[in-house]
Amino acid sequence: MSNMTSVGISDMKIIKGNGCLITYALGSCVGICIYDSRTKLAGMVHIMLPNAPNGDNANPYKYADVGIKNMISKMISMGAVKSNLFAKIAGGAKMFEIFDDNAFGNIGKRNIITVKDVLQGERIPIKGEQVGANYARTLLFCAENGEAKVRTAGSKETIF
Amino acid sequence: MQIKNYEELNFTQIDVLREIGNIGSGNAATALSGVVNKRINMSVTDVKILDYNDAMDMVGGPELIVAGVIVKLSGDMEGIMLYLGKLEFINMVLESISLDPVESYDELSELELSSVTEIGNILISSYMNAIASLADINIKLSVPAIAVNMAGAILSVPMVEYSYTANKIMIIDANFMFDGKEICSDLILVPDINSLSFLLKKLGVADE
Repeated sequence: MSNMTSVGISDMKIIKGNGCLITYALGSCVGICIYDSRTKLAGMVHIMLPNAPNGDNANPYKYADVGIKNMISKMISMGAVKSNLFAKIAGGAKMFEIFDDNAFGNIGKRNIITVKDVLQGERIPIKGEQVGANYARTLLFCAENGEAKVRTAGSKETIF
Repeated sequence: MQIKNYEELNFTQIDVLREIGNIGSGNAATALSGVVNKRINMSVTDVKILDYNDAMDMVGGPELIVAGVIVKLSGDMEGIMLYLGKLEFINMVLESISLDPVESYDELSELELSSVTEIGNILISSYMNAIASLADINIKLSVPAIAVNMAGAILSVPMVEYSYTANKIMIIDANFMFDGKEICSDLILVPDINSLSFLLKKLGVADE
């Protein structure tokens, strides 16, 4: 676990062979991990919002739709084969429940729906997910074996 | 002229916002000091315009557990106000209202959580009241909500709320001191960009 590459908010990283990717404290944001077991290429993107509005090309990794597609094409250009890819996702929580405002904080749910739609459209199976609920998650993803781990406040790590 | 993003703010405007923050948090400190019956001072308010990832470090790192109280602002000013309370602060509050201090966040009972929520609510409403009367505007506050969890995820709530219009977050941040001891607890105001323009105009420092 010594070799960690940190993925920030609206950020994307790809590593190969060994080491792990980590992104901290996903709330309503979603972390999407994609893995190619043959080349051991592992990518992770930390998105905040579902769909990119027209014209915002400056921050592709802020949005689920553009972010995931960009990561996949980067991985393919590095030698990954699309039919080998699978995904693991985490996040999309609703951190606060405001009594008189139901719509507030529903962005997590919308993020998850869009992430799943985009992955399905790209024909990439989701092999594991830790999504929803009302707590934050730190997500790790290892290039060695495509294993994902989620750590939450006050409970043990979950491997998925 | 309408401000389109936070980087367009000039020095005068930032100064005015800092002063607003000072008045708000001063009022909040006075209110809290009445509740807990202790002398409370506040440090000078900071106005920061930060990248999302830098904002995480400002609150002590993304994975640090805090008790976050959130209030949504509407009316003449839209935005989110957050109070991030750490364990030391919570214990000070609990002791002052004759409840037992706790060793960790998961020991907090329903009653204690609702006390912390109420303290956050008092801080936030007295802060916003001061700003509303100063600028002569009408600000509505939602019912407060609480989450005890990672600071990064709590802070991401206002970021996500406004991230369609901004790539940075503007934070008006204040720290409190109790009996001369600095107990880190942040009171954070995140106005949306249109409301910020409106507020600056009301205060007479809109850009010509």
